[in-house]
Amino acid sequence: MSTGTITPYRSAQQPGRDDFAHLLLSEWTKFRTVRGWVIAMVGAALLTPLAVVALAGIASGKQNPAANPMAPTATGPGSATVAIGPGGEAVTDDFYLVHQSLAGNGSVTARVTSLTGSVLPGQVPRGVTPPRGPQPWAKAGIIVKASTRPGSAYAAVLATPGHGVRMQWNYTGDTAGLPGAVSAASARWLRLTRSGDTITGYDSADGSHWAKIGTATLAGLPRAVQAGLFVASPQYVTATQGFASNDFAQLNTQAAAVFDRVSLAGGQPGATWSTGNIGAASVVAGPRGDSRCRQLPARSVCVGKRKAPAGGLARSGGTFRVREYGGDIAPYVTVVDPLGTVLKGTAIGLIAVVALGALYIAAEYRRGLIRTTFAASPRRGRVLAAKAIVIGVVTFAASLIGAAAAVPIAERRLHSGGWVSSVYPVWSLTSAQGMQIVVGTAGLLAVAAILALSAGAVLRRSAGAITAVVVLVIVPLILAVILPQGPADWLLRLTPAAAFGLQQGIPQYSQVMHTCMPYNGCFPLAPWTGFAVSCAWAAAALGLAIYLLRRRDA
Amino acid sequence: MSGALRAQAGALRESVHAEWTKLRTVPSTGWLLLTMIVLIAGVGALATEVVKCPATCSQDTTKLSLTGIQLGQAAVAVLAVLAVSGEYSSGMIRITLTAMPRRLTALAAKAIVLAGVVLAAGAIATAGSVLAGRFILPGNGFTGAYHSEILSLAAGSTLRAAAGSVLYLALIALFSLGLATAVRDSGAAIAVMLGLLYIVPLLTDLGTLDPRWHHRLQEWGPMTAGLAIQATRNLKALPTGPWPGLGVLALWAAGALLAGGLVLRLRDA
Repeated sequence: MSTGTITPYRSAQQPGRDDFAHLLLSEWTKFRTVRGWVIAMVGAALLTPLAVVALAGIASGKQNPAANPMAPTATGPGSATVAIGPGGEAVTDDFYLVHQSLAGNGSVTARVTSLTGSVLPGQVPRGVTPPRGPQPWAKAGIIVKASTRPGSAYAAVLATPGHGVRMQWNYTGDTAGLPGAVSAASARWLRLTRSGDTITGYDSADGSHWAKIGTATLAGLPRAVQAGLFVASPQYVTATQGFASNDFAQLNTQAAAVFDRVSLAGGQPGATWSTGNIGAASVVAGPRGDSRCRQLPARSVCVGKRKAPAGGLARSGGTFRVREYGGDIAPYVTVVDPLGTVLKGTAIGLIAVVALGALYIAAEYRRGLIRTTFAASPRRGRVLAAKAIVIGVVTFAASLIGAAAAVPIAERRLHSGGWVSSVYPVWSLTSAQGMQIVVGTAGLLAVAAILALSAGAVLRRSAGAITAVVVLVIVPLILAVILPQGPADWLLRLTPAAAFGLQQGIPQYSQVMHTCMPYNGCFPLAPWTGFAVSCAWAAAALGLAIYLLRRRDA
Repeated sequence: MSGALRAQAGALRESVHAEWTKLRTVPSTGWLLLTMIVLIAGVGALATEVVKCPATCSQDTTKLSLTGIQLGQAAVAVLAVLAVSGEYSSGMIRITLTAMPRRLTALAAKAIVLAGVVLAAGAIATAGSVLAGRFILPGNGFTGAYHSEILSLAAGSTLRAAAGSVLYLALIALFSLGLATAVRDSGAAIAVMLGLLYIVPLLTDLGTLDPRWHHRLQEWGPMTAGLAIQATRNLKALPTGPWPGLGVLALWAAGALLAGGLVLRLRDA
């Protein structure tokens, strides 16, 4: 018996190309050829901007006192301590100043040997224990200021109890110098030199070794400026969200500093130091009804039961003891976020995008197309990855256009509705914050679509998948407003709703104490960290979906 | 009773029986109802666990223990949407309408069965969350002092809030059923339904909107108006009274059922 050679059968068909690009192309073809989906995606891309712009129209600030803190109200004048800074932004410019005129170039030097302070007695809500000692951002230092008008340009080098020596200028500028608190044992030497528009700040621990902290250019600084010593003591602010009511307290504080070795180079010979409050005197220590309190302007506040030492300057030889009640030199920070609120209109578009993401795979299961898909491309994980890329990219692109169109219009409408732009900035699309809002909106929608796709692959039913994702992404935002602070913060940290933090529309400054309540649309995580939480959910869901796709029959 | 009427009543009874058989033999029904009960009772228990007296004694503890309704209603909506959209996607609807050519009777039978099932499961869930509140709240300091009260269905307002929450769930089921009958596709129906429910509270909770619009939205939003039934304290602060609020939701449900009935009558299945 002989055996011939057997030629194994080979199909004459060319093997199909199994690269990922073709998989992407086929998934894109599936998406764009279903008319309903394309219409739904265009609808979703339109819904977000329409909702946001419509909401901006009904978010009128006319009846909201927070919309314009400078405007007089029915019960009294506007906030006395808010001024308009050199950049057009609202600022707090309220402090005690010991100053001399400085014509032309020169420098001012001083040593700070002590900075103490305390929270003044006031309405303290239950469960709040204000910290003892001075405020971390109490300020004692030297300043060069264009004039004594609140809101004028300045540069300062200052010591703080909690954040070391800083150089600050024009309210928003802030650079760190020597760390550590001030005491007699570790005194801080501070120096500012002026050369034209340029102010340079230095600090030193011993008065002989100076280190440059930074340089500030104050555009349009007049020839004659005011230079000297100052003290300010910001309010202690605390807010806790409750169920029915929120506990909110603003406690007045005081700070006292001791300066010596004060010298001014370039001043008028023989000039003396003048003193005074910049901004309206807002806080006076002393009993309510005291004669001193009665003489004060209407917007001043009297605190305390006993008469405390008055704010001001006590000078003995070369030692200056300066005390101030309240005040700050800093950007004005609001807690109300109208832009963030109207951007919540994104949730309408989000539901549409979530529906699309879930249907993108659930429809294949319903029609049985999924079996054809897997027959053509047996590597199931790659199929789902291709779907995720297609739905993510399409959603991102469509939403980016929508958000970029909606945000400027919504900002204009808020502005014309009474929300003053000095407190509620109109971000340009190229600014970091504007970019964050627009790209973040598109990003959170894309991530929600991928999450919905994964849920659709796991549950295989569109209704269940859509509901699960909507409950996971949107309901935490609703519950976070009604729950007390603790659980509310955790909801916004752990659920994919954390990504909505990217839409916060008011600026935050680390040098200003601010309160963060979900009630005000504030998120506990940093915006991009919150986005990462949302991405982690999508990645975990996608991983689970791929695992189950491989394990289960289609 | 005239013969025609008796025949119609008989047809409805048979239709209800058929719908009941369909609903109870679909595995998703049990899962969804279980999810609903767990969500309502579980979230209610969690919400009452985190509140403390004397820090916040003047809480509306009844409303608080019923917080879970806000999540549980999503499961009810899915159940109601699937009851009709599921038939459209599988083609079952043509068999249903062949067996019961009076389409409105078929829709009425679906509504009756769904409402009955949701009322029963909702009663269990609501009773569970009130009971949880009754046992958890005294441990957190709500012992009856400082204007706090111990949850009891014997109190008129608590009974109204609890019974009203059960009715609320049934109305959500009818609303979703009507919407799904009009829209047919399950994905589209549930998306529209969840949008109508959740968008209004999301936007009005952050109090930056113009007060008139804020009030208007809360007054007419199906969820914000309907959940007014849960309030037992500070009723003057509500956009609508408890029962008128539930009435607003009933209007939404009636409107959706009307639209669904019209589409069912006029369009090919």
